[in-house]
Amino acid sequence: MDVDPRIGDILKALSINSSVQVRHGANNAFDIIGSVVRPLLLEFGLPGIYISASRAAIEIIDALMEEGIDPSPMHFIDLVSTSTIGGTDVSHTNISFIDSPVMLEAIMLRTMYFQRARPDEQMFVILDSVHALSIYNEPRMLAEYIHTFVNTFRHRNTLSILLTIPDQVAPEVLSNMDLYCTELIDRGDLIIG
Amino acid sequence: MLPGTAYVRDRCVTGIHGMDEILRGGVPYGSTVLVAGTCGCGKTTMGMEFLVYGARLGEACAHFTATEPSVKLLENVRQYNFFDIGLVDSGLINVFDMDVLNDWLGLNKSTFDKDDINALVKAITDIVNTIGVTRLVIDSVTTLCYKIPSDQLIRDFLFTLGKSLATLGCTTLLVAEITSKTGGANYSSFGVEEAISDGIVILGDVERMGHLMRYIQIVKMRGTNHSRARYNIELTPAGLMMTPMLKWGAQ
Repeated sequence: MDVDPRIGDILKALSINSSVQVRHGANNAFDIIGSVVRPLLLEFGLPGIYISASRAAIEIIDALMEEGIDPSPMHFIDLVSTSTIGGTDVSHTNISFIDSPVMLEAIMLRTMYFQRARPDEQMFVILDSVHALSIYNEPRMLAEYIHTFVNTFRHRNTLSILLTIPDQVAPEVLSNMDLYCTELIDRGDLIIG
Repeated sequence: MLPGTAYVRDRCVTGIHGMDEILRGGVPYGSTVLVAGTCGCGKTTMGMEFLVYGARLGEACAHFTATEPSVKLLENVRQYNFFDIGLVDSGLINVFDMDVLNDWLGLNKSTFDKDDINALVKAITDIVNTIGVTRLVIDSVTTLCYKIPSDQLIRDFLFTLGKSLATLGCTTLLVAEITSKTGGANYSSFGVEEAISDGIVILGDVERMGHLMRYIQIVKMRGTNHSRARYNIELTPAGLMMTPMLKWGAQ
């Protein structure tokens, strides 16, 4: 995992209610995740919620730990592991599972539940990823969800970060991200390091 | 939603996440509200959370359970963080088994006549009056109505009960069971419960690509300009939580 320090610099300049669209390619996903998570946890000391729709939460946790990033201040909402019998059999207490990536409102409710437990804390929410959700959800519904997601967390004074591979997402979804996110970080297929 | 009028009825705040917001402040005091839903959609949890919130404010609350014994009910709700058994021990939440009450009234029979119904209404209102109950849940009114042989008697029973409780200033949730087939035009098993209620709250399931998602919708609530949209709900350890259902996913 190669960390791009410029992403941390951009995040540092943002207000807490910003919504950031992070575009990346198929080959640098883990580098981008590390580049986003590292400054949030280690430099800003923010707790957060990580919605893992691209891959199992345990995979993200292992990758971060290998890089010396302690993921325990994050709660993971895993949308992937319930598709495998035994996939939810993990020892980490900071992972919860949702039955399916089509249950978009359930993702919102789960994040709100964890925020409710820490009402006075500033937090971030990472949605990894819009392109994974687009496998299961119709573009018009996903576009509506992005609209709701961004506005909900902005209203709740929460930094929201939406990861996506743009060419894997329908144009109407992407245009909604462009419309409603306040910042764009585009790393394409750039290999860091 | 239009801006509110100058006169606003006093509200019984439910304390349920999102509920008071979509009711624009809570249930108008003294209302009888039908909470109708399919199995497993959160009716009992919602009723208990409503009582717990009131009890924490120092209000006397009562729960009449007809679908399961009180011991089992309390065991089931203890899994929730919002519940505190101390509220039962201290007498702020009073749980009554309908079977025990019926035995006590000599009503352990298969069908109720008019006198039986009057006796039952009197017993419930006497308890409410004696304890000074301001929040009441009857779970479920469907189970009670199974013993009432005609729609007219069911209507009389619910109307008299609702009127008596409103006079006592008690806000009541009447839990009703509906099957997924019942959904649509009817919000109750017998089709008469909804007509005499001040409010109707529907809980149910929407299927999305093979997954059942719980929802709540307030169909009617006299005395408040409430939302009539559909909301997704989740039963969390902290109680019911809700968020607006995606419009493209509501079918």
